[in-house]
Amino acid sequence: MIRLESLNVGELSLDKLVLNEESFVAGGRKRKRSVLSEKWFAFFLIAPSVFFLLIIVAWPLAETLRLSFMKAGLGGEAFVGFENYQDLLESKKFHQTVIRTFYWMFLSVSLKMLLGLIGATLLNAAIPGRALFRVLIMPPWVIPIAIGCVGWLWLYNGQFGVLSGVGQQLGLLDGPHEFLAHKKSAFYSAVVTDVWVGTPMVSLFLLAAMQGVNRDLYEAAWVDGAGRWYRFRRITIPQIMPVIVTMALYSAIFTFNSFDIIWILTQGGPRGASTTLIVDTYKVAIGNYKFGEGAARVVVIVMLLGVFASVYMLLLGKLLRKYGTK
Amino acid sequence: MQKITLLMSTALMSGLGSVAMADDHNKELHFIMCGGEVRAADQAVVDQFIADYPGVSVNLEAVPWGTCQDKSLTLAAAGDPPSIAYMGSRTLRQLSNNGLIVPANISPDVKYQDGVLNTVTIEGTEWGYPHAFSTKALYLNCDVIESSGQACEGPQTWDEMYEMARTVKEKTDAAGIGLAGKDFDNTMHQFLNYLYSNGGVVIDPVTGESRLDSAQTREALEFYGRLADVAQDGPTAWERDQLRDLFNDGRIAMYVSGPWGYGQHNEDINQRVAPIPAGPSGESGTILITDSIVVFKGSGHEDLAHELARRITSGDSQYDLDSSWGLTPILDYEAMGWTDVFYTDGIWPNFTATISTGGPEPLLEDFKSLQSVFTNMVQGVILKDDTVDNLVTIAGEELDEAL
Repeated sequence: MIRLESLNVGELSLDKLVLNEESFVAGGRKRKRSVLSEKWFAFFLIAPSVFFLLIIVAWPLAETLRLSFMKAGLGGEAFVGFENYQDLLESKKFHQTVIRTFYWMFLSVSLKMLLGLIGATLLNAAIPGRALFRVLIMPPWVIPIAIGCVGWLWLYNGQFGVLSGVGQQLGLLDGPHEFLAHKKSAFYSAVVTDVWVGTPMVSLFLLAAMQGVNRDLYEAAWVDGAGRWYRFRRITIPQIMPVIVTMALYSAIFTFNSFDIIWILTQGGPRGASTTLIVDTYKVAIGNYKFGEGAARVVVIVMLLGVFASVYMLLLGKLLRKYGTK
Repeated sequence: MQKITLLMSTALMSGLGSVAMADDHNKELHFIMCGGEVRAADQAVVDQFIADYPGVSVNLEAVPWGTCQDKSLTLAAAGDPPSIAYMGSRTLRQLSNNGLIVPANISPDVKYQDGVLNTVTIEGTEWGYPHAFSTKALYLNCDVIESSGQACEGPQTWDEMYEMARTVKEKTDAAGIGLAGKDFDNTMHQFLNYLYSNGGVVIDPVTGESRLDSAQTREALEFYGRLADVAQDGPTAWERDQLRDLFNDGRIAMYVSGPWGYGQHNEDINQRVAPIPAGPSGESGTILITDSIVVFKGSGHEDLAHELARRITSGDSQYDLDSSWGLTPILDYEAMGWTDVFYTDGIWPNFTATISTGGPEPLLEDFKSLQSVFTNMVQGVILKDDTVDNLVTIAGEELDEAL
């Protein structure tokens, strides 16, 4: 109580302070009042955050859920029950989009984690100019995505782009090749750009984790004759596993919902070859003003991500137990 | 007491009066101008309008085509409509069906070219003031064509066009033709040029039903697929305006564009313009596209907006725009008493002769769905995803759903 007073936390808190002082002396019924007051005081402190979350998370989610049962457009809305969901379930195109989205996420996140781990290991090694390399890895992450994508658009251009030009010079291509014009190359080009943008962040987080590993473990293993690969496999990986797992989940959710890269490069084309769920949702809800159908897609995305995160956390628990970390 | 009451009442009334006066004399018209820039001819009209209406200002906002129509629609749907906007006429049905715009009030003195008013008329009501008109023709880079050993003469038929493109592709480093196939509205426009040059119809003007699933469409799509074989690599990554760069760079021998293209090509290019070749079932045609000035409902000053729209779209100002921007003449200036008009010679007959055989940009409420029907079909044949027959059948079904 005295500590609070010295903190000078305001009129309300001071009132409580007096009350609590009394309750401390008198005990019994007043003590109960003081506990309640502290509870309410705690609620009061978190109220702004709760209010904020209700406004920016809960209300939009509830509104989206409501909208998903409507046929809603520019002219108004009408209740249609589960029709929007039924249309999605019956749509072959939507099923393909779901599969494509998970494939996009799996491929992109795997590459980001793999390259991020390699990058972090190299940046953690005692090599000359290490500080410079740590700075040089940053640009893909720190420059605005739109600007980075415009650069990639130029690289992928078949007529004026570097990749097509170099490919022709090396005899790998017969003539100009538009990387974003063909279904497979458009999809994989978008993956490459997404990996380019996302890898630095993974590298830096893993690097930070690696630097937190106790050096004594490496020295002890070295004394016992353990080689580099063995030390990496049996010390580094288990020690940074919580960060790897957290980054993978974080990256997966971001990649699943990655919109800007695909939109700028291909707008989901050609013929939907690079359309993921979030791009499809944008096209339907914002492009075609079918707000109800778009909302149904958003609900499906939230559900899919919820299931994915649950399964992932379950597997994660097993993995962490295997590696002996909490 | 009575004096005090009277004084207070007077003060209150004069205060309200001032507010009312201020409101009357401080009106701002929010004018969204699609296209990313304000053209000098339009700016001149706006400046004169502001001078004629003291206290009225015009907030001219130029927005690129890619996002402009969505912006206007979203603002209107959110209850904060612009006062007036210059947009593609294809949006009119969506805007009018949802009660977002008010009908236009076109003066009977204004004589439009044949077919122009059809692009803004829905069930007998004109919803926009047509302001820009375009027809299309075939541009030929004679330097490239002649380097392939051919004479640079406009092909009359599709077969001649294909042979010319194939020869260029075989004998030079350039592609025979530049084709658009990107997820963009002018992919549909480019295809419709061929469809209308083959006697095709998208929507029956009388019944309003889809007529896309037809032999003419199959022939046009098959031809587009054949052209893709002799076009630049990956047409699905290109839209029409980007083809201009390839044309300027001598990388394609020909492509289809509007009359403004002539002035946008490099001066050192030996270029020629020809009507779009006729298909086996039709005669040379073109898509007829207009952009219109629309007046939004609920801005609070629709009358002023109508007046501004009428001024921008009539007489001298319209002629200034058409002639300075190289647009197909939207008004029948000769019928309105003009002499010595700009479009009687040079490249112009290639763009004006096909007006009578051209077809309109279809007016659908969900114009984005219409666009995707065509994009899917065209990309399907370019990427050889399916047979022409299946692609047209699917497109016909999708259009039926969209109608």
